Amino acid sequence: MSADYNDSDVILRVEGLKKAFGDHVVLENINTTVKKGEVIAIIGPSGCGKSTFLRSLNLLETPTEGHIYFHGTDITDKNVNINQLREKIGMVFQHFNLFPNMTVKKNIMLAPVQLKLMSESEAEKRAVELLERVGLAEKANAYPDMLSGGQKQRVAIARAMAMNPDVMLFDEPTSALDPEMVGEVLNIMKELAESGMTMIIVTHEMGFAREVANRCMFFADTKIMEENNPKELFENPQTPRLKDFLSKVL
Amino acid sequence: MRKYVIAALCCLLSLFALAGCKSSVPENTVFSVDDLSGKKIGVQLGTTGDTLVSEYEEDGSGTVVERYNKGNDAIQALKQGKVDAVVIDIQPAKAFTEANSDLTILEEEFVNEDYALCISKSRPELKASINEAIRALKENGTLDNILKNYIGEDAGKTPYVTPEGTEHSNGTLVMATNAYFKPYEYYEGGEIVGIDVDMATAIADYLGMNLKIEDMEFDSIITAVQSGKADFGAAGMTVTPERLKNIDFSDTYTTSQQVIVVRDNDAIGANSNIIEKFKNDFLTDNRYEFLLTGLRNTIIIAVCAALMGILIGFFVAVIRSTHDKTGGLTIANFICNIYLTVIRGTPTMVQLLIIYYIIFGSVDINKLAVAILAFGINSGAYVAEIFRSGIMSIDNGQFEAARSLGLTYKKTFIYVILPQAFKNVLPALANEFIVLLKETSISGYIGLTDLTRGGDIIRSNTYDAMLPLFVVALIYLVLVVILSALVKKLERRLRSNERRL
Ligand SMILES: Nc1ncnc2c1ncn2[C@@H]1O[C@H](COP(=O)(O)OP(=O)(O)O)[C@@H](O)[C@H]1O
Ligand SMILES: [Mg+2]
Repeated sequence: MSADYNDSDVILRVEGLKKAFGDHVVLENINTTVKKGEVIAIIGPSGCGKSTFLRSLNLLETPTEGHIYFHGTDITDKNVNINQLREKIGMVFQHFNLFPNMTVKKNIMLAPVQLKLMSESEAEKRAVELLERVGLAEKANAYPDMLSGGQKQRVAIARAMAMNPDVMLFDEPTSALDPEMVGEVLNIMKELAESGMTMIIVTHEMGFAREVANRCMFFADTKIMEENNPKELFENPQTPRLKDFLSKVL
Repeated sequence: MRKYVIAALCCLLSLFALAGCKSSVPENTVFSVDDLSGKKIGVQLGTTGDTLVSEYEEDGSGTVVERYNKGNDAIQALKQGKVDAVVIDIQPAKAFTEANSDLTILEEEFVNEDYALCISKSRPELKASINEAIRALKENGTLDNILKNYIGEDAGKTPYVTPEGTEHSNGTLVMATNAYFKPYEYYEGGEIVGIDVDMATAIADYLGMNLKIEDMEFDSIITAVQSGKADFGAAGMTVTPERLKNIDFSDTYTTSQQVIVVRDNDAIGANSNIIEKFKNDFLTDNRYEFLLTGLRNTIIIAVCAALMGILIGFFVAVIRSTHDKTGGLTIANFICNIYLTVIRGTPTMVQLLIIYYIIFGSVDINKLAVAILAFGINSGAYVAEIFRSGIMSIDNGQFEAARSLGLTYKKTFIYVILPQAFKNVLPALANEFIVLLKETSISGYIGLTDLTRGGDIIRSNTYDAMLPLFVVALIYLVLVVILSALVKKLERRLRSNERRL
């Protein structure tokens, strides 16, 4: 096998990934590598397997075939402690999935404290810091039900960041938001990208993808149909499928 | 709050209205044994009267037999005109007619019968010893004195006392009875007394043994003796061919008659007023203590069984929903499914009886513990399904969010899923507790004095069917109303936690 498995710059490497739900093959033979600091945007028609791909990366979906290496460790190996690896793979969901039974601050503190990565007071300090960073310091003691959608998603981002992940996965983070709230979330994500965070983002915000991503993947027909830097991908689509898709969304 | 006060007042009012109204006695229609044919006849379930009257039922004359758990209930039905006559043993019949001036006993005797003790067929040596004791007690006049002490002019003059120097070194003799049958067995000052009790004490003394009395439903006595829960049954029992199929009997120790009790239309209504009744039911002999003991037991059973049910239900629900979510724990899930099916597919009362008479058949075990166990196991099945629906109602996104942070399945459950599930199911859980509290009223079937049975004991003592029942109902009602109010408060508190900014 190639030597760059252990290349410290490579965070994720996907090899021959296949995912099927019963007879329904959603993804087939997906291969890619994600390097430190990369911001990857994933676009494609609805139902083409973008979420499935993203969720495979932290094993929320179990791959049918193929391997996924995270820092050189094959996470599809049954003997691997997936919980430990997930600590370093943050995820932000379309529907936020904040825990309604705890305050915003406790949402952020839960995992670091329960996994004994920080003491209660360290975690609290970190939570306050992160909330300041996403502009919600004054909501620390509010319950999620009290927040707007945009605020919820910013908290969810802070929650994922609290674990100091090596990579963050975003599954359509702005799709469930009212239009006027999309901007505040994208701004946070942009700042995060600028700070050097490795990010994989499934999105329908083409402007954002173009501006922030270094690489853009177009998923269709169970595979990565096209992959390029955003400028090339958007301005110079090679396949009829991508052309067709872009004509509909732009 | 005002709502509750009004509800409670309404109850009280209706209580007094009902207890106070003097029912006009319906027309009597039975004047001789021959008149029984084609009538409605009340009996106590499983008694000789039941067996005898049942023959009328099959002769095509349209006779209907109504079987009641207690003689008292049969008498009440007679007063209200639900039955035309009650066939019952002469001694309780006398007590009933004394307490109810609008009832009378027909002079014509129905049937003479012999009373004997029932003993398991598998213990001929016990039967022999008891027979020998009975023979000796008859010969030395002890038995006569015991009978005279309860029946007739000289009642109370010749109480049985254990002969001096009697040793009780041969172990314990357990007697099964149904202490609602004055003067053979009944409660007086919290203790079971009566002819059968004294005679059994005399027999035990003769055999050098201690006597222990287990009180239970009349139709449970034979089961208890068969299963070994009791060594013998003494409850004014007549030898019948039907009973002989299942159980053996000692020699006869006394004879009695079955008589017919009917309404007496000539009687002048002499119902004592409600205050007198109340005094007699609750104050005389500190009878209210039966209710206090009963209430205490009811609360102990309900609270402990609820805790046990929550524990069982919790584990079953976690196993079942883990199976649903991950496909694992197949065997544990299978066992849980059997548990749920069996418990929810059979009546609670049957479960209670099986646990007491079969599972713990030959073990001497505290009845309170049995009741807690039975109701706890029962409630666990319902709580499990409540918890499970609560867990399954939590959006899968909660699971995924927690897992994506690196939390284990277990921690996800403990910190994220269960707190939300618990809050969702709190009203259903509280409801289950209220159901459980009321369901404990069948504890009397294993002879445990719970609140319901406390009332029954008073009824069998005072022959007043109504007031104790109403008071018991009122106590249950108050408990439930208080509980509902507490739960509402708790729910509100939980809700406001989430809303506060
Ligand atoms: N748990 C599942 N069971 C069966 N089919 C699924 C499941 N999850 C997703 N799918 C199917 O897989 C396909 C890809 O879904 P998804 O990855 O969510 O698409 P996208 O995110 O690109 O819109 C869809 O056809 C969807 O119906
Ligand atoms: Mg999707």
